[in-house]
Formats: sequence, structure tokens, C-alpha cells
Amino acid sequence: MIETKGLTKRYRDLTAIEDVSFSLTRGEIVGFLGPNGAGKTTTMKILTGFLPPTAGSAKVAGFDVFEQPMEVKRRIGYLPEHPPIYPDLTVREYLTFVARLKGLRGAALRQDVGRVIDRVNLGAVADRLIRNLSKGFQQRTGLAQALLGNPEVLVLDEPTIGMDPRQIGEVRRLIRELAGAHTVILSTHILQEVAATCERVVIINRGRIVADDRLTDLVAKHSRDAQPASLEQVFLTLTEV
Amino acid sequence: MRNTLAIAGKDLRLYLTTWTSYILFGAFTFITAFFFYQLVKEFQLQLLELSQSQMSGMLAEMNLTDWVVGPMVINASVFLLFLVPVLSMRLFAEERRGRTLELLMTTPVRPVEIVLGKYLAALVVLVIMIALTGVFPLLLQLVGHTSDGSPIDWSTVAVAYLGLFLFGAASIALGLFASSLTESQIVAAIVAFALLLLLWVIGLAARGQEGAWQRLLEYLAVTTHLESFVRGILKLSDVVYYLSLAFVGLFLAHRVVDAQRWR
Repeated sequence: MIETKGLTKRYRDLTAIEDVSFSLTRGEIVGFLGPNGAGKTTTMKILTGFLPPTAGSAKVAGFDVFEQPMEVKRRIGYLPEHPPIYPDLTVREYLTFVARLKGLRGAALRQDVGRVIDRVNLGAVADRLIRNLSKGFQQRTGLAQALLGNPEVLVLDEPTIGMDPRQIGEVRRLIRELAGAHTVILSTHILQEVAATCERVVIINRGRIVADDRLTDLVAKHSRDAQPASLEQVFLTLTEV
Repeated sequence: MRNTLAIAGKDLRLYLTTWTSYILFGAFTFITAFFFYQLVKEFQLQLLELSQSQMSGMLAEMNLTDWVVGPMVINASVFLLFLVPVLSMRLFAEERRGRTLELLMTTPVRPVEIVLGKYLAALVVLVIMIALTGVFPLLLQLVGHTSDGSPIDWSTVAVAYLGLFLFGAASIALGLFASSLTESQIVAAIVAFALLLLLWVIGLAARGQEGAWQRLLEYLAVTTHLESFVRGILKLSDVVYYLSLAFVGLFLAHRVVDAQRWR
């Protein structure tokens, strides 16, 4: 469903990512894990067609991100690092606007807006200005936007940032529920998040992929003797500077 | 087209639910009212002088359309030059700062639809702004009187307002381009103002020149093209001038937004 080959992004003398290759099959949830500044966000921006890569290629649902951006954009729901919200619109107005951009109209539009509001539990604040919502609700509004139009692929950049523990629990449950019907790539630097939601993990460090494995296999590989390694140990070993 | 309307609707909503637009409406109407008042007073003085000096030939030439409404529209256009940057500055800069440009660029919407949608929203605000000053010729129609017919020649007024609209529309396109360049609304306003001011002072510079050079500078200046509109004359070359200026602004804005995909 998602396939990248040798993705590289350079900004003048800074290399954000280098030779990033991975692939996701339909219905898979993959955690994209790495320390801050490792290149997670850059990779996601390229996948969604917001940034062009310096080299390499990325395909989503069989369409090249750079050659056929419209086809790719129709199939991706994207939650950027900072939720792309308009403070002066209400949650419902905002979602209606995004739904229109995604090509929904009329009754189908209203139905889908209602669906994501329920799904992300925004009912209580649907008619309030986004400006007046807490960070957690703003983040959820951003997540709701990504779910509009029921896209095949979801690209979520740190989806639980700024949420309280209860909200984090809800969102993680939601993400697990998305498996199967959607292909999800989820970036985070929170290890528990990966452990709680994903089966497979891709670890990126300083722009390069250092591990791409099933969670259980990864832990097993790094275990010595009878002592099982924790995900944290694995992470720290792999991302050593 | 539908995407364009969706974006126009969103931007228009933001325009009409925030204070800036209403401050602009108020300021524009107030300043135009001031010019209007001065022009009416001057008109009365002139009438009085002419009737006392028994130059009845000149007296017949005096009318409210050419002596009050026309100059008022010219003055309004100059004031528009100052206000348009404030109107257009948020269009793209706000989307960049709020990171919502990323949303627009990752939904299946083409850059041209984004640019046109935003332009459309700003044009609606411009129309409201200009329409508010329509109260002044209306006032003259109600209280003015002449020996023959209507005190106001409405076809001339309509052409003058069309000119003012085209002038504003061209200015907004340049402002939209300025806004696409930066994430700072202040910078966007300053760049837009500098561009418009340049196009304005070119007209003044033309006075000291001669020959082809003078004609070129006069052609490039924004305000000179308004003069025929104000006299009620619809000249194709003037319409073409404003439309091409608008096109240049939109084209450049589109290039900047589209270039996002290549950086």
C-alpha cells in the first residue's frame, strides 16, 4: 500500500533523511519510531506530497507521490505534526470545509462529518470555536479531519501529542480499531505508543532506517541470555549517537 | 470549481467573522465621507462664485457627477491603495503561519483552485467595501436638484465604480502575490504596499519625461487608467490594463504556491 525506495531529502548542507526504504501492506499499522529530529516528519511530508524528495521514490496505493499527486492525495488522510486547524472556525465548520476539499458533497458530506465527530468523540465541542478548545481537543480535531472521506491510508504524525492520559487511551484504541480497513503509518517518539498500537516498527535515526521488524522479533533479537530486552533498551541501543 | 468555491466560502467566513474587515469598512467609508463632504462644499462655493460673476456658460457645465462623484472615486482609489494590503495580507501568510497550507496542499485541491478561491473571497469583501460608498451619490440624488432631469448621471457613476472595482481587483491580486511569499502578515502588507505605491508614483514620474518613455510610464501607472472611467468612458485599453495587472498578480501567486511542490 505504501512503498518507498531510497527516499532522500537534503536541504542545502543538511541531510534530513537518506536512503529510506520501507513498505506497508494493506491494513497494516506501522509505528515510525525515532528520536526528535530523526526525519520522521520529513518522511511523512514526502509521503503526503507536501514536500518533494531530493532522490528516491514513494508510492501510495500504486500511485507515485510525485507523478500523480492528486490520486495519492485522494487516498491519504494526513495529520501533520501541528494540527492544521483554523482557530476562528467551529469544529463542525472546519470539518465541513475539509470534507468539501476532499470532494464530499451534500448528504454524504454531512453524514461523514457526523461520523468522524462521533468516532473521535468531539460531539460535546462540535459547535465551539477551535480557538477556545484545549490542546487535546484541537489535536483530536486534527485527527478527525484526517479520517474524513474514509481514506485507505492514514499518515499520523505524533497523533497523541498534547493529550491527557484518558484521551491518549481513547486515541490509541481508535488507531487499533482502524487496522484492517486502513493502512496506518504512525510516527512517535513515545515507546509505549508503539507497543500499544503497532505490530511492526520502523526505527529511524539521524535520517536512516536502523530497524524494520515485528515488535516481538525486534525484542527477541536484542535479548541476551534468558533476559528479555525492553523496547526501551532496543530503542536506546539502535539510536545511539 | 467546487473546490474554489469551498475555499472562497471558508475565507469569506473568516473575513466576515473577524474584526479587520469591519475596521476596513469603517475606515474606508469614513475617509470617503470626508472627501465627499469637502467636494460638496467646494462645489457649492464654485457655484456661488460663478453665479455672481455672471459666467452662465460655465454654470451650465457644473454638475454633481463630474464635480463631486468623479473626484470622490479618484480619492477613494488612492485610499484603497493603502487599505488593500491590509485586506490581502492574511490570505496566504495566515495559512503558512497556522500550518494550514499543509492541509490545503495535501488534500486533492490544485494550487490554482486555492489561489482563485482566496482571490474570490477578497473580491467579495472589496465589493462590499466599495458598495458602502455608494451611499454618497445616492445622497446627492435625494437632496440635489437641477433644472433638467436627474441630479446624478447614473451611467457615468456606474462606469466610475466599475473602474474603482477593477482598480481594487488588480491591487488585491498583487496583494495576494505578496501574501504568498511570506508567513508574516506584516511583511505581506509591506510588500503589497510597496508594489502598489511603486505603480502609483510611476504616474507622477511620468510628468517629467517626454515621448515614448512618458507614454510607457503613464501606461504602467495604476491611477491614470481610472481617469476615463470617472468621466463615464469605458475604454478597452484601460479595462485590459487592470485585467492584465490582476492576471500578473494571480499568475505569480500561483507560481509561488505551486513551487511548494518542487522545493
